Amino acid sequence: MKIDKFDKLLGLLLASVLIALVLVLWQGSDRQAGTAKAVADRVMERELTYQARVALLQKLYGPVDELRRKGELQTALLKLDEVSRQYPGEAHGHVLQAEILHEMGVLEEALASYVAGIRLNGEYIDRKSPLSRREAISRLVTEGERDIVSRAKANPANRTLATALTNINYLKSRLAGGCE
Amino acid sequence: MSVCNMLHKNSASLKALTQLLITLLCTFGLSGCNFKQERKVMKIGYMICNSEQETIARFAPLTRYLSDKTGVEFVPVPVDTADFEGRFQKGEFALTHGNSLLYVILRENHGLQLLASEKRGHFGSRTAGAIIARKGGGITKLTDIRGKRMVFGPMLAPTGYLAEYDLMLRSGIDPERDLAYYAIPPGSYKHEKLIYAVLYGQFDVAAAPMLDLETMVKEGKIAADDFVILAQTPVIPYCTFGAAKETDPKLVAKIRQALMELTPETAVDVAGERIKVLKAAWVDGFEELQDSDFNPIREMAKRVNMPPYAKY
Repeated sequence: MKIDKFDKLLGLLLASVLIALVLVLWQGSDRQAGTAKAVADRVMERELTYQARVALLQKLYGPVDELRRKGELQTALLKLDEVSRQYPGEAHGHVLQAEILHEMGVLEEALASYVAGIRLNGEYIDRKSPLSRREAISRLVTEGERDIVSRAKANPANRTLATALTNINYLKSRLAGGCE
Repeated sequence: MSVCNMLHKNSASLKALTQLLITLLCTFGLSGCNFKQERKVMKIGYMICNSEQETIARFAPLTRYLSDKTGVEFVPVPVDTADFEGRFQKGEFALTHGNSLLYVILRENHGLQLLASEKRGHFGSRTAGAIIARKGGGITKLTDIRGKRMVFGPMLAPTGYLAEYDLMLRSGIDPERDLAYYAIPPGSYKHEKLIYAVLYGQFDVAAAPMLDLETMVKEGKIAADDFVILAQTPVIPYCTFGAAKETDPKLVAKIRQALMELTPETAVDVAGERIKVLKAAWVDGFEELQDSDFNPIREMAKRVNMPPYAKY
């Protein structure tokens, strides 16, 4: 069999295609590795930010928690006011206030504080989050339903009770997985 | 001749037209005046907290807002707490804005109707009183206050006097016998004065409204760590709007609705200035309470022998 110029040219072309294919595949695997690395980096960054946030919250609100543990609820609220001067829009402050008010039996204001906190940051209702307050919120919703629903039914024109009821329903929907 | 006649006729018709215009203007002008005169005028008695000027500055925008919303011309009247019942009884004002003890007094003695209550601070339309001492001053619990110097707020203050006095009686401490001495600060800003009086050592303990402690901490005037809260009273309603019992029920409903509709953005024009109503009044909003929400105050007033249940 004779190999002519045309065959050589075809062979050369075939070899070029094969080399190009190898190169493309090699680059693709490299890019995949790069993407995987970037995703890993992002997850790591997010985790680091999250850890830093949790550590910062613990540091900032630590004195409030300490006062709560000692049962000095009123002083804890005052301490919270102090912290809130520096971080007025922080969801954690609203959530802590809700917990303290709940402990003090001030249900309507506790509900309003939880709603304010969760509207700012949904993590507090998330079952998997270390910041989750899901159980405490469920307890408050149950208590609120017991106390407020009957009063709201007895006074249908009362707008304050209607607002409390709206807050209960909002928390119930978030507990059930509803979004903002 | 005909030209003269024409001129004469024209001037006559011009005169008639002018007369007609003047008559019309007068009629519209007078009817305008009559319209203003026909707008009902009602007075709102506002309990003075610190001074007349401050009270008017706080509540003039709210009064303007209520006028705009109801079509009634409301006029603010600053009233000293001690004169409040007497002036209300004389009919000097039909609407009231005062503390929750004043509401109970006017309700029991004159059938005042509850309109809406102010929201401010952690507990919304309610707040509490506290007995405080300076941190590091050696007083750490309520029983330590026996034989100490104490400062109270004004006598008709629900969370600056009544609630703490009641708390002490319920804890077995008689302020008349078990303290070395007690006083009430003179002049305005009584609640702030008594908090500072404890901070700077003029008195050992004070009856402080939680709302004032909250506000002073928020404003950076004091720190939460400066004080020990020895005891806290139950949470009771705060300042409240009321209406005389003979007030038109439709107007009562309108005023209540207007108060409930207020948002932080609601603004009115007062003396050429656009002012946010709630911010000017130092209020977060309004709530509809029920008369039964004031029962804890009634019980306190009975135990402390204060109006409207005082017996001599």
